[in-house]
Amino acid sequence: MSQFLQVLLSGLATGSIYALVAVGFTLVWQAAQTVNFAQGEFVMVPAFFVLVGTHVVGLPLWLALALALVVSVVLIGALFKKLVVEPILPSGGISLIIATMALGILLKESAKEFYGAEAQPFPAMFPTDPINIFGAVVSMQDILNLIISLGVVVLLTLFLNRTRTGRSMQAAAQNPAVAEILGVNVKRMVMYTFLINAALAALASFLITPVYLAKFSNGETLGLIAFIAAIVGGFNQIRGALVGGLLIGVLDNITATYITAEYRAALPLVLLIIVILVRPQGIMGTSEGRTV
Amino acid sequence: MLEVKDLHGGYGKITILNGISFSIPKASITTVIGPNGAGKSTVFKAIFGLLHIDSGQILLEGRDVTRQTPRQMIAHGVTYVPQGRNVVPQLSVYHNLELGGIASPDQAKVRQRIEAVMDQFPMLREFRNRKAIELSGGQQKQLEVARSLLLDPKLILIDEPSIGLSPNLVQEVFATLQRLRDQGVTILMVEQNAKAALAMSDYGLVLELGQTRMHDQAAKLLADPRVGQLFLGGHVENAALAGAD
Repeated sequence: MSQFLQVLLSGLATGSIYALVAVGFTLVWQAAQTVNFAQGEFVMVPAFFVLVGTHVVGLPLWLALALALVVSVVLIGALFKKLVVEPILPSGGISLIIATMALGILLKESAKEFYGAEAQPFPAMFPTDPINIFGAVVSMQDILNLIISLGVVVLLTLFLNRTRTGRSMQAAAQNPAVAEILGVNVKRMVMYTFLINAALAALASFLITPVYLAKFSNGETLGLIAFIAAIVGGFNQIRGALVGGLLIGVLDNITATYITAEYRAALPLVLLIIVILVRPQGIMGTSEGRTV
Repeated sequence: MLEVKDLHGGYGKITILNGISFSIPKASITTVIGPNGAGKSTVFKAIFGLLHIDSGQILLEGRDVTRQTPRQMIAHGVTYVPQGRNVVPQLSVYHNLELGGIASPDQAKVRQRIEAVMDQFPMLREFRNRKAIELSGGQQKQLEVARSLLLDPKLILIDEPSIGLSPNLVQEVFATLQRLRDQGVTILMVEQNAKAALAMSDYGLVLELGQTRMHDQAAKLLADPRVGQLFLGGHVENAALAGAD
């Protein structure tokens, strides 16, 4: 029982970070009706900003994290929206999807070029000491990762539902034409969405890189798993992305522990196929509309 | 109240409005009718700043508001209710109403207005926490009309309010518009249901091929055989009636 709890908590911790990235997929889908295939690289890059801050500039970790967050929000939030999404979106969603694939390759190869192909150690933000929860031994880092990720998703949901700005963002996503005639600044709301996505990606990066180490190729796996998590949960619902992320994290751990570690990479794909066959809109998704 | 002078414009290079002119007085209902492609909805979008204007002028209470943005038009006291369903589907009825006042700097006043509007439309109070998409078509249209009142508008542009509504609900929406007119609001309405709309309006405006063909008291237009002819696919030969208000 304690082993199961251990596997469960550890899976939830990883899954909650997948959920952060999956929420980003959902947000960008709502704002621009496109899939950002550079999302995985958006999670890979902020870790390198931190390493540049700590190793090259010599900043303390907290300052490097703060600066990396700001730089990420500017580069993969505002500039991504201004330089990639805005000019290409009028040409159609497919063009933008291809552009994000190209951007992903550019970011990956740039990281490799500037920082090397070797995995770089990344400082942990939290102590990794094991703690005992009802007999399950899990690391403090896992528990804090879980708490922070879930806390951020809950805060984001509260922001979107309980504030006027959040509801304006929902209006801009669900019915931009109506939002405009009501006086909502649709462009600004869409920009907010991209900034939030960048901040989520940076946070996911800071939480997961101490476990995975900083490597130029981290985005490939992470992006794919989060994309599947968003589809499994329901691409048009934040809570769907959350459920999808947690589900994949937990199932991955359970499979690796109790069945086989050999095929764990196939699990998300199997889950994806099942969900598409049984419930194409995803576990929590709705088939009729766009929702933030 | 509203004066449109020789308006030309359209969608990109496609010109729809070919010199529309008319004026409407304060606290009145004017119904715009005309065959498909006449430019009825387009002129609303042009007034509200949603599409390109090549030339011409729009005056609101004497002030030039040509080529203003929707946000600026809202600030001038103009609201627009487009045709079709225009709710934010996943937000509650209350939050849809709140969005109607999003442009206001005084949110306390908006909350008071929401209460006042829900008094006018008791159905909205009953369903205030329900998602807008869960309302019937008629209820959604009432929500849209109610939402357009949140900023205490001087002028409401309402496009095809009767589409998809049962005859009873159409009468309800029309009665609401008449009540607003009696409260001093000016209403410019596009309506396919020409007879019913003219019967409850003060003035009528007939558009054809992006031009004003007739503009007169609604009762006179209703009695004019040429209006029927126009809707049967004919053309009004005597364009001299244009602008005869």
